[in-house]
Amino acid sequence: MREAIGNRELIQLDGLGVRLQGTYHLPADSSQGKPVGSASLNRVGVVFVNSLSLPRAASGDSAVHWADSIAQHGYPAFRIDLPGLGDSEGLASTGLLNSINAGDFASVAAAAVEQLVDRFGLSGVVIFGHCAGAVSALYAGAASSHCMGLVLLDPYFHLPLAERPKVRQQLSNWARRSKIGTQASNIYDQVRDLRLSLRGNTPPANANFPLLAKWKQLATAGLPILLLQAPGIKSQGRKPRVGQFDYIEHAVKLAGRKNRVSVEFVGSADHSFANREGRAAVEQHMTDWLLANFPLPEFEFDASHLSLMHAGESQDNGGGSHGHFIKFHENA
Amino acid sequence: MENQFHASRQTEERAGYFEVPGAFLYTVLHQVKNPVARVLLVGPFASERHNSYTPWVRWARYLAAENIEVLRYDYRGIGESTGVFDEMTFADWSQDIHLLYAWFAACSPHVPILLHGLGIGAVLAGRAFDAGVGDGLLLWSPPANANQALRATLMRWVGLEQILKFRSEQKSASDYIRDIEQGSPLEVDGYRWSVNLWRDSFQLDLPTALTSQDIAARSYRRPVRIVSLTRNAAPLARGGQIGFDDLKDFTWLFAPNCEWIAAAASQLSKGLAYA
Repeated sequence: MREAIGNRELIQLDGLGVRLQGTYHLPADSSQGKPVGSASLNRVGVVFVNSLSLPRAASGDSAVHWADSIAQHGYPAFRIDLPGLGDSEGLASTGLLNSINAGDFASVAAAAVEQLVDRFGLSGVVIFGHCAGAVSALYAGAASSHCMGLVLLDPYFHLPLAERPKVRQQLSNWARRSKIGTQASNIYDQVRDLRLSLRGNTPPANANFPLLAKWKQLATAGLPILLLQAPGIKSQGRKPRVGQFDYIEHAVKLAGRKNRVSVEFVGSADHSFANREGRAAVEQHMTDWLLANFPLPEFEFDASHLSLMHAGESQDNGGGSHGHFIKFHENA
Repeated sequence: MENQFHASRQTEERAGYFEVPGAFLYTVLHQVKNPVARVLLVGPFASERHNSYTPWVRWARYLAAENIEVLRYDYRGIGESTGVFDEMTFADWSQDIHLLYAWFAACSPHVPILLHGLGIGAVLAGRAFDAGVGDGLLLWSPPANANQALRATLMRWVGLEQILKFRSEQKSASDYIRDIEQGSPLEVDGYRWSVNLWRDSFQLDLPTALTSQDIAARSYRRPVRIVSLTRNAAPLARGGQIGFDDLKDFTWLFAPNCEWIAAAASQLSKGLAYA
């Protein structure tokens, strides 16, 4: 058995007393695309954390695909199993979702990042997370002095119920499957929309306020953040379902004038982003964003196809009412 | 420094890559100093791997803590293993078992080796056992053939798709089956099922002798246990809620199966015949 093959190497980290298992995707060098050595890379690395209880390969092995791809563009990539998940040791809480939403993985993820920076001579890291993993990434980013950016796929800023009441689930099923149910659902949405307006469009009571505070802390400090959104249930483009609070719009408002938040809507993706179109779009957006924010001078890359622009200046695909965030051209 | 996730390490776990033709298999050896038996875990397939990874790893750890050495792995083209999923065949995945078994059997000390398969892994393990591989066999929820397991995966995926879509956008499982049977590959949970995979899955049967434990015992004269998992074993079995069931306590399932493995290994070590 080998611990390294081609551009991949298995790594272990100390997760505050718990052994963490991970996979390192060695970055390509500038000319021949061959993996470069591991020591003193002096590049920004990308660290992938688990989405809920999924192992570090993620849905449809999409994280393997993305890590391979960005490594080929010169960025060292690391996929890490957090404690009790995947192949890492330790016991994750049976209330995993609540634990993630409370930021329980922040300190252990930050400790892992610190070791990666030391061991591989990184100049810093971008933390990548999807769904619940995006929540972990945000908390970890706030806890780590080495975090230089975030890539968040379908993050959520509320506290979802781990298990929905059975009656509510059955009602939802009925609404989705029958014509009358769909009509009833539309009326329900309008009622919720009215309530939302009456509330002055403020975050609902089940908002994850500590997480929003971390977001504000990082975004207002000008941390580059790439946020990718897939279509949600009954969403209209980037906008959420009628009657649902627009957390992304709220987050962008919180981010302040100096923010470097880029929001992209990936209409072709499903929530996992693991479908072919979704994973290709993530790959493209992430690569462009990395090259724009963390260029590799020694890596002769043709970045001529990139067009940096401010959202308020030109293309506005849903998030443009706040004219201060960086947007790239639509490429998916 | 310890944190809230801390759990004392009971056995050594060695992750590595094992070379097979055209690819490397990701393997994890749950090493035991003086094992009473070895078990090669032939795990859940494709997206089922991801949904049931945590209990599957815990099962390996449970066995190792009971002095049973375990080797688990990812199929070619899936998870941490290399290779392109769309290009793989059931013949490749069968070969994985044979190659890993040969490696595992060469480990010392020499103790009985059992195969344990789940879902499509049960069909693959069953066929390998039928071909003479392994001293014993444990099957959890073996389908009659691989197609039955693929259909179950498809049903689960379609169910999830329907949660996210309204009536006008929904496609039924039979719509998807029609598509693949008419020659269009199908993407399920990020894995592209080729038309050949679908067609071949009908041919990948569980050996007839493994349709019941009694017939198996008479046919093979080696220990065989077949367990049909119910909904409470989700996500190892169908049902339940992805992401919420996998961290629950599975001792009720692990304990009797581990005891059976230990007892079977003990009898095999003593050279007792199975009738």
